[in-house]
Amino acid sequence: MSRAALGEGEPEGPGQLRRPSLNSEEQEERIAARRLRIAARLEAKRREALGEDPDAKKAEAEELSRSHQQIEESRQRLAKLLNDGTQLVTNIQVAADARETQRRAEEDELKRQRLEKLENESKTNQDKFEEITSKWGSAKEKTIPQDLWDVLNLQQQQCALLIEEKNKLISELQQELKSKDDWYVKDLKKQSDDINLLVERMEEQIRNLMKTYRRELTQIEKAFELERRELLSSNKKKWEQAMQAHNAQELANLITRMQKVEEYEKQLNQLRVQDAEEYTTIKIQLENDVQILEQQLQQMKAIYQLNQEKLEYNFQVLKKRDDENTIIKSQQKRKLNRLHDVLNALRMKLAKQIKQFQEENQTLTADYKRIVEQYKDLQRTMRHFAVIDAQKFLELWLMNEEEAKGLAWKALEADRVIHTQQLGLPWVEPDSWFLDNVGPIVHRKAIRSASKLAQEVMALTESSQQEEEEEEGVEGGRKEAEAEAGEEVKPPRHISVKSVKHILELLCDESGFLIETKLLGLLQPLERHERSLMRLDAIFAALEIDNEDDVYMLVDFFLTFKAQQVVSSQSKEWAEEQGPEKLAVDSADNDEGSAALKEEGTAHQSSAASPSSLLFHPDDVLKALKAFVRDFQKPRDKRPQVKKVMEERDNSKDSEYWEALAHVIPEPKLKVWDALEAALEKYYSVLSQRAKLLTDLDGLQQQNTELHMLLHQYVTSKVNEELLIPPTHVIELTPP
Amino acid sequence: MQEPVSGDTNMASPPLKTSVVNPAANPRRMRRIIAEDPEWSLAIVPHLSELCLQHIVSNFEKNPVVDRLLPEHQRKVLDRISTGLPLTVTANLISDEGYWKRCCTERWAVCDVSRYGGSWKRMFFERHLESILKYFIPNTTDPNQVLEVIPLCKEYVRKLEIDQFLPPVKLDQNKEEDDMSDSGSDVGVDEFCMHHYDLGVLTAALSHLEELHLTYGVKDCGMNFEWSLFDFTYQDCCSLANAFKKCHALKVFKLCRSKVDDEKTRVLIRNLLDHPCLVELDLSHNLIRDRGARAIGKLINRSKLEILNLCNNRIRAPGAQAIAHALGKNSTLTSLNLRINCIEDEGGQAIGHALLTNATLTSIHLGGNELSEPTATLFSQVLAQNTALTSINLACNHIGLDGGKQLLEGMSDNKTVTEFDLRLAEVGQESEYLINQALKANQEIARLKTLYQPNSLEEKSPDLD
Repeated sequence: MSRAALGEGEPEGPGQLRRPSLNSEEQEERIAARRLRIAARLEAKRREALGEDPDAKKAEAEELSRSHQQIEESRQRLAKLLNDGTQLVTNIQVAADARETQRRAEEDELKRQRLEKLENESKTNQDKFEEITSKWGSAKEKTIPQDLWDVLNLQQQQCALLIEEKNKLISELQQELKSKDDWYVKDLKKQSDDINLLVERMEEQIRNLMKTYRRELTQIEKAFELERRELLSSNKKKWEQAMQAHNAQELANLITRMQKVEEYEKQLNQLRVQDAEEYTTIKIQLENDVQILEQQLQQMKAIYQLNQEKLEYNFQVLKKRDDENTIIKSQQKRKLNRLHDVLNALRMKLAKQIKQFQEENQTLTADYKRIVEQYKDLQRTMRHFAVIDAQKFLELWLMNEEEAKGLAWKALEADRVIHTQQLGLPWVEPDSWFLDNVGPIVHRKAIRSASKLAQEVMALTESSQQEEEEEEGVEGGRKEAEAEAGEEVKPPRHISVKSVKHILELLCDESGFLIETKLLGLLQPLERHERSLMRLDAIFAALEIDNEDDVYMLVDFFLTFKAQQVVSSQSKEWAEEQGPEKLAVDSADNDEGSAALKEEGTAHQSSAASPSSLLFHPDDVLKALKAFVRDFQKPRDKRPQVKKVMEERDNSKDSEYWEALAHVIPEPKLKVWDALEAALEKYYSVLSQRAKLLTDLDGLQQQNTELHMLLHQYVTSKVNEELLIPPTHVIELTPP
Repeated sequence: MQEPVSGDTNMASPPLKTSVVNPAANPRRMRRIIAEDPEWSLAIVPHLSELCLQHIVSNFEKNPVVDRLLPEHQRKVLDRISTGLPLTVTANLISDEGYWKRCCTERWAVCDVSRYGGSWKRMFFERHLESILKYFIPNTTDPNQVLEVIPLCKEYVRKLEIDQFLPPVKLDQNKEEDDMSDSGSDVGVDEFCMHHYDLGVLTAALSHLEELHLTYGVKDCGMNFEWSLFDFTYQDCCSLANAFKKCHALKVFKLCRSKVDDEKTRVLIRNLLDHPCLVELDLSHNLIRDRGARAIGKLINRSKLEILNLCNNRIRAPGAQAIAHALGKNSTLTSLNLRINCIEDEGGQAIGHALLTNATLTSIHLGGNELSEPTATLFSQVLAQNTALTSINLACNHIGLDGGKQLLEGMSDNKTVTEFDLRLAEVGQESEYLINQALKANQEIARLKTLYQPNSLEEKSPDLD
């Protein structure tokens, strides 16, 4: 079924007129033709497939009972048919064979007979021939022609007889041959008939076979079909059942699945939303981060660049510095060498100088001792001179005061005169205290330094005497100052000066470690009192006590410390009570104003404090000191430093005094004076101007007269007449 | 030569399509696609390759170019070249089956390629050579006609089936009288001119020749019949025998209806002894007698012969005895056909004895041999003992009722024989029926055996169905 055969076959077919042609002009027709062709091909293929189907099933059918049976039956039937058919066909051959064998047997027999006959014939004829040939010899002997002729005739007759016999045989044989020919023809005919029959039978057989094969085939197919149908129906049933079950299952699955799907969808949506949010937040965050990082990067870059430049610059600078340093180093080295030399020289010099200075020192210490002596003398004389100076000062003061007062009075007088004479106002005498004051103004300072206090305490007797002297000098003037001075060396009520002194002495003795050793060495040559003072100074410096209050605080602390420690030994207290009592009495002389109060306080105090202070054992000093330092370090730090005003005497009031004295005429009054002066000045200037104008007038009058005279001369002179136009014509002379 | 020349016009037509002067005249030529013509192209100017191929096709005889072309171009060229091209050009050049199929179908109406091993080329050359030999007239036809073909077809020819050898033309009789006078001495005065073509040269050249079917005779002589037309002369026989010597690949040799007598048989057998390949020998429808049979008996054991066909000869008891003797010792022969001879009981008994010892022969045909009861008794023994035999034919003999009974007895013990022909053997209907029953049982057994061992007995299954 080649493409060419189809392609060429179709257009030539009988349906050419009706069918669409492949070679036609119209496209639709061609398409239709091709469609037809494709359909034909498919049909052929389908038929082919159908034709093959039963064969395939036949091979398969061995197991299937019904079809198997059918096939077996068919096979047997067909085999029988085939056998019979072949037998029928081959029968002809067999028959021919049989005939042939029979013919051969007959032929053999005939042949044998014929041969026998021929042999007999030849034998008899041979005899006859020999007889004839033998007669030829006798015939030769015959001389008589008659005889010879007779003999020859006889011979001829015999020969003819022989020939005749032979001919007879030949004719017989020829007859036989003819009959054989007929037989042959018959046989040929028979054989052709046989062949025709054979062909006929073969065709018949083929037809039969085909028919039966077809029939069997259809039967087998039917059987198969039946079986198939049964199988199909049973399978269909099974299938439907299974399908139903399956459908139910499917449905259930579907429902569960849908539920699940919905659930999952929800979850998915949720997740999606969540994720989207997360995503956006993260994205924003990350973008921010990116921006920040980029900014930082930029900054870092800028910094980097800056740093690089800086570093480069630094590097350059350092390089230069390095160069410079090398130069300097070399210079320094040189310098070092030089300085070494100098050092050596200086060392030499130093040794020399040490020696020299030691010598000098000795001389100087000697000098110093001498000078100290001198200084003491000088102090003594100084104190002496101070007294004298004070006296002188007083005298001078009084003198000056007198003078000033005189002047003041003069001024007041002048004022009175001005008031009364010039202004015509009633004058009131000013009332001022300073006008009554006589002698220098004296007052005390409030706070003293610790060392001062110590000094004072130590040199209690001396200072009290001195103060008495001083106080005597000032006494008579002021009560306030006296009240102040009364508190001069007065410790707080509860601490007696004695106990302070005792404690300070203790302190001085026990806390030598607070003093620098150098200082100790230096203090060695000094006398005891001085030394203890110096020591106390150093101790106070170490303890940072620089105030009178601090000292009192220290003492107070010592006392309380002691009081807490010891409460025993009452008897000793009473015995020793007498001392402080006396001291308190002594001190009461000094404090006149508050003596009674003080006495009471001290008496009250002494009952508790003084025995303890006396009992204050040197061993306890350290502990107490430690405690004090520990406790008082902080509060004292906070306390503002009190400025020390070291002043022998307060002369601030002096200037005030003198100022007041100077301004005995008050300011408004002075202004009045100034205004008056100004007015007077103006008046004076007017007066002086008038005087001057008067003198000027005199001069001008004189000049006028002179000029009058001159003019007169000119006018009157002869020159005027000589001139064309005399000025006199121009100038209108008006008499002045 | 029957080569058709009409193919040339067909071949030239497709290229001519493109070179038509006015394509618009034919609307079919203006179409872009013609589904039926894969070569069709609307291009007015054909491709250069197309033109080249066209040129190659038209000048193929002078300049055959195939191997150097691309596969698709080769295809086109082979589809277009004429089948009328001289074989000298095409024979060894073209191996394409399509071309040779065209050649065959154009030359012969009936072409059964399965008989030629599925090869169209082989078919073409075999049939071509056969036709040359069939119409070869000695001394008239130029011998070169054959010699020219030999180098062309020697590679492809496997089988030669020549059913006619023409004798020399009678007109030349006088001329050739002198030549033939010496050789034709023992053949007879009439046959001096009757020698046929000598196959010696041919068989020597055809190295692949495996089958040779010869019939010395004339077909369709009609009313010109003469006995001399069917003579197989002694010289023919000698030349044929010599031809065997050079033909080592020969497997099948058939020489039928050629009046081969004892002398010629002996000559042939002498040359066939110890042949390396010969498997089948068919000398049916000849005139072989006992001497020839004896020679054949000798051949049986000196070759690899498996199939021997001596039907319709003149072998009698002594010849059969000789063959039986050989058969007794043989282990290669599977099929023996002695139909329509006359071996009679003596020969039959000898063969029966031989079959008692032989274990390879499966098929024996002794139809039409004048056998009778004694042979039947011996064959009943053979049936009981021999397990190799499957097919026995004793038709057209005179076995008789007793012989039939004896054979039935022997058959009852046998399980292998599936075919046993006893038609026209006078054995009686009862025996024949019973024997047929036994045969059916045996056939069933054999069928089942083939079903379970389809591979081992495959070739027998068609017989059983």
